[in-house]
Amino acid sequence: MKINSINNPDQGGYLNRLFTIKAYAALLIGKLLLTFTRLVGRGGTTLPGRIALMINPDFVRVLSRQIKVGSIIVTGTNGKTTTSALLSSILKEAGLTCIHNQAGSNMSWGVASAFVEEAKLNGRIPVDYAIMEVDEGAFPAVTAALQPLGIVVTNIFRDQLDRYGEIDYIQKAISTGLNIQPDKGFQVINADDPSLAALGHASGISRLTFGLDLDLADDNLHNTGRDLKTCPLCRQELAYEKIYYAHLGHYYCPNCNFKHPRADVRLTNYSCNDDNFTILNVTHQKGSIKMTSSLSGRYNLYNILAAATCSLGLGIPENTIASAISKAGPSFGRMERFTYQDKSITMALIKNPVGANEVIRTLLNRREKFSLLVAINDKIADGKDVSWLWDVDFEQLPARKEQISSLTASGLRAWDMAVRFKYAGFEQDMIKISCSTEEALITAIEKTPQAGSLFILPSYTAMLEIRSHLNKMGLGKPYWEA
Amino acid sequence: MADVNLFHLYPDQLNLYGDRGNILALSKRALWRGLELNIIAIQPGDHIDLSKCDLLFMGGGQDSDQQLIARDLESRRDELADLVEKSLPVFAVCGSYQLLGNYYITSTGDKIKGLEILNIYTEAGQNRLIGNAVVNCHLWQEPKTLVGFENHAGRTYLKPPAEPLGTVLNGYGNNGRDNTEGAVYKNVIGTYLHGALLPKNPWLTDFLLQRALSYRNKDHSLDELNDTLEIQAHMAAIELASSKKHKRLSAKC
Repeated sequence: MKINSINNPDQGGYLNRLFTIKAYAALLIGKLLLTFTRLVGRGGTTLPGRIALMINPDFVRVLSRQIKVGSIIVTGTNGKTTTSALLSSILKEAGLTCIHNQAGSNMSWGVASAFVEEAKLNGRIPVDYAIMEVDEGAFPAVTAALQPLGIVVTNIFRDQLDRYGEIDYIQKAISTGLNIQPDKGFQVINADDPSLAALGHASGISRLTFGLDLDLADDNLHNTGRDLKTCPLCRQELAYEKIYYAHLGHYYCPNCNFKHPRADVRLTNYSCNDDNFTILNVTHQKGSIKMTSSLSGRYNLYNILAAATCSLGLGIPENTIASAISKAGPSFGRMERFTYQDKSITMALIKNPVGANEVIRTLLNRREKFSLLVAINDKIADGKDVSWLWDVDFEQLPARKEQISSLTASGLRAWDMAVRFKYAGFEQDMIKISCSTEEALITAIEKTPQAGSLFILPSYTAMLEIRSHLNKMGLGKPYWEA
Repeated sequence: MADVNLFHLYPDQLNLYGDRGNILALSKRALWRGLELNIIAIQPGDHIDLSKCDLLFMGGGQDSDQQLIARDLESRRDELADLVEKSLPVFAVCGSYQLLGNYYITSTGDKIKGLEILNIYTEAGQNRLIGNAVVNCHLWQEPKTLVGFENHAGRTYLKPPAEPLGTVLNGYGNNGRDNTEGAVYKNVIGTYLHGALLPKNPWLTDFLLQRALSYRNKDHSLDELNDTLEIQAHMAAIELASSKKHKRLSAKC
């Protein structure tokens, strides 16, 4: 992996001014492009940043020096968007100001676009924090540019292998990024993920770990996606005392001394109340916090823990953390809810087997009838390789056939999805196919019974498309207005 | 006794690119015809009786896992090679396709010995060959195409008696140079294509099932199935793989 060496930006003088002037030009042109892309009704999370970086590759580094307290990067395969959204609501609840890249635009140009958007015309960014969710592959380069105070790593699963080749590569990228974090920073790591717990860190960096400490009822949904089942140190098969999902749990290596470290911040109790609110008990080194959350799904327990752990590391008071988390709704496309006439529409992004299985787990908890629309595109942001669909436990759904009022496959890869449904056990004639997401959405809403629910499981760019169709129907707001 | 015993080699280690789809396709298409397909998962170190096997499936693995299983496989090498000469059907994807060959030269120049079952060898290339691929296949009557997704750093070259599985119409294939994809020797089929490959190419699935039945001396001809959905998915995938517009689209965010 190649990291460009960092010139010291504070050396002052002529060179520094030149950097700043170039960065300023990049900002102005970026702003212009942002206005333009918004005028044509697009998000502007890619182009302005790309051009700004083209004009000045040091754009992010120069601008981020102004952040008062520091930058925090959230990376990992699943949970980046929700964790960083929770973190920024906690900081706002604490009366702090922060900028945040939204809409999951998490490549280096997505980070740059956030700076284009948030900087004032005079080039100033008078905020306390920058919270940036960053793609694993872009993580080393963004770390070099942002010089973050904190880094949160959620987990490593198999995701978008077409882009990165293999999971070993992702692990190397995470490790490289962690090793170039400047001194006096801190890292927040998922202790339940063996591939993360094994990663070393520099001596000038402090590390906080989080994890579940629960006895959960077992189900058969964690049988796929155990990507990292060998000991990261000696490559023998790991054994588990508890598995929470995929390869996350309390593990030990029967061959060497590697084992699950007791986490600094642990979820020691959780239950659901009648309104579908989760009640959590989080134990940390100095006490415990009780909080409620409207976010459902096991993966969200990890997201909440990651955000809470990072906030504790920043010294945010316990009650501020609890109150921000209780108010937080789902992030963009993550179990987002809309109401159309008397029909309820829930959209849950799927992008890899582990995440998709967690969404299916939530679906299986439903008692009433529902319609299901799965929309899969294969653009770069979705992953060009759709073979992961075969690792998702769609087999769990046909058992609930009576409950499913309609089943639609959509997107550029609608046919692949339809074949997937067939081999999962659905009859061929039950599966509706429509490559156009707009057409599929309209039909799926029509087929949803009065007062019933529609679940939409889109890949990333299919989610963007469906979201804009919903916006046109007057549901929700474009994300740059939300 | 089951009609077909499918041995699935190291499902926990070799399962990289939706290989579960290949197993699902084989088992569903057997089931829909009233055939009993018994799937036997083989873990490293298991004591197995390969004489009971009618069809051996090996999936793709990531580098770290591949080394673990290569050691285990070495001990079964002679038995397997012997059965291959007796026409045991074997279907190997990506990493295990390479493993069936003579050797693999890694990017650091290390030479990893293969099982020497297919007369092929592989060298790591600079970049990975990634994308949709369409192959014209000579093994059966029309439709002759296979459509899948490839993602490999290795460049594989064939030597007789290994024959290519097909000619590349779209994509890279074995090495991005000689227009060949995959290899066939006796009843062994190795390929770089996943997707998963079998669900969208039902004729290959049926070909493997038929070979497994004949290997066990069961003169069972396979009933026709309603493959409208699979064929449409196959055609749609070919269209996407050859569409310039889709290539542009999938290069954008």
